[in-house]
Amino acid sequence: MEITWEDGHKVSYSGEQLRWACPCAECRGEAGAPGRLARVTALNPEELRIHDVTLVGQYALQIAFESGHATGIYTFPYLRAMKPSGGELLR
Amino acid sequence: MAVPSSQQVLQVLAHIQDPDLGRDVVSLGMIKELEVSPLGKVSFTFELTTPACPVRDRFKTQAQDLVGEIPGVTGVDVRMTANVRPAFMRPKPSEILPGVKQTIAVASGKGGVGKSTVAVNLAAALRKSGAEVGLLDADIYGPSVPAMTGSRVVPEQVNGRLRPIEAHGLKLMSFGHIYPGEQPTIYRGPMVGKAIEAMMVQVDWGSLDYLVIDLPPGTGDASLTLAQAVPLTGVAIVCTPQDVATDIAVKALQMFRKLNVTPLGLIENMSWYVCPSCGNRHEIFSHGGAESAAKRLGVPFLGAVPLEEGIREDADSGVPVVISRPDSAGAKAFEHIASQVAARTSIQSFRQLPVINVH
Repeated sequence: MEITWEDGHKVSYSGEQLRWACPCAECRGEAGAPGRLARVTALNPEELRIHDVTLVGQYALQIAFESGHATGIYTFPYLRAMKPSGGELLR
Repeated sequence: MAVPSSQQVLQVLAHIQDPDLGRDVVSLGMIKELEVSPLGKVSFTFELTTPACPVRDRFKTQAQDLVGEIPGVTGVDVRMTANVRPAFMRPKPSEILPGVKQTIAVASGKGGVGKSTVAVNLAAALRKSGAEVGLLDADIYGPSVPAMTGSRVVPEQVNGRLRPIEAHGLKLMSFGHIYPGEQPTIYRGPMVGKAIEAMMVQVDWGSLDYLVIDLPPGTGDASLTLAQAVPLTGVAIVCTPQDVATDIAVKALQMFRKLNVTPLGLIENMSWYVCPSCGNRHEIFSHGGAESAAKRLGVPFLGAVPLEEGIREDADSGVPVVISRPDSAGAKAFEHIASQVAARTSIQSFRQLPVINVH
C-alpha cells in the first residue's frame, strides 16, 4: 500500500507491516489483557495480504486482509507515524 | 464603436472576489455561458456554489456595473444560478447517499438545547433559498422531527426501499415515521448505528443539495456511526449560553475534530428573551457563551437564536418558524445561520478527500 500525503511525502507499507500494526481491540488487546498479536509469533500468508482498503469517514482507512480480518481502523496520524516498510514495527 | 471581446469581459469580472473562497469568481469557474452580441449586449450566467450565498445580490450588482462600464457595451444580462458542488469523492459512491452533495450534521453533546428545532429550521431556511434539502433525524430514541414538521406519516415502501416523507418542501426520514405513536425504540448501542446506516442506505433520498442530519445528544454511537459512514461536509454545534451547556458542546466539537469532521461553527440557542409585557430583553441562560467558546476554539460563530414563544408553538404545531412567521426575530436568526452554514459548506466542497485506488 502506498500513501501520498498532502505535503507530497510518499510512504510504502507492506501488507505484513500493516497486519502486525493492526490497531483493533482483538489484535492489540483491551482493558489490560494482551491481544492476539502479542500471543502469536507468526501469521499465515493470507493474513498478510491486503484484500481491500476503504475510507472511514474522513479520518482513517479500514484495511481488509485476505483472511477476512478487517476490524482495524488505521487513523491517518497513526499511518503517518509508522516507520517505512521493512521494519518489524510494533512487534 | 467596437464590441468588446469575451476576454475583456472576463478580465473585468475577475475583479470580483469571492470573500469566502478568497479567489476571483472567474478562476473559480462561476461565469458560464458568456455571450457578447454583435450589438454589444453581454449576457452570462453567474453560477454560485450555494443558492443561499450571502453575497448573491452584491455579486450581481458588481457584475452589472463592471461589465456595463466597458466601452462598447450596450446592455448587461446577468443570470444568477447556483450549483451546489459535490462535497467529496465518495469512498463507495454507489452505496451511501449517492445523490447527496453536502451532508451537514447538527450536534450538541448536551440534550435539550434545541438541536432539532435548529435542524428543522436550518433545513427549511436552506429550502427557502431554493436548494433541494433533506432532513434525517438520527435520534433513534427521541425522534422529534415528525412532530416539528407536522408529518406523522408512515413512509411508503417501494422495491424494498423507503420513500422519504415530504413536508414543507423537505424530504424527511425519522424513526418516528417508521415507528409512530407511543411505542419506544429499545435498542443497545450497536443497533443505533445500524438504524442510522439503514436510514441512509435504505431510504431513497434521490438527489439533494443538502442533507441535514439531526444527531442525538452524546458523543457515542450515533455520532461515531455517522462520522464513519459518510464523509460529512461539516458539523454545526448547537448550545445554550450557560456554562453547563457550552462545556458539553465543546466536547462534541472536539469529538468531531478528532474524526476530522470540519466544525462549521457554533450556534447559540435561547440566547435572549424579550418579555411580551415589559418589552425588556432578558438573558435567562446568560448570553454570549457560545460566541466566546467559538472564539476560544477558533471556529466560526454562526449566530444566536432568541428564546421565543413562537418558535416553540410552531414546533409543536408542525410548521417551522422560518415558514410560519418569516418576519419574526427567530426566523431571521435561522435564515442568517442558514446562509452562514451554506457559505461554510461551499468552502468545504473545494476540499478533496483522499483518493483510494485498489489494484
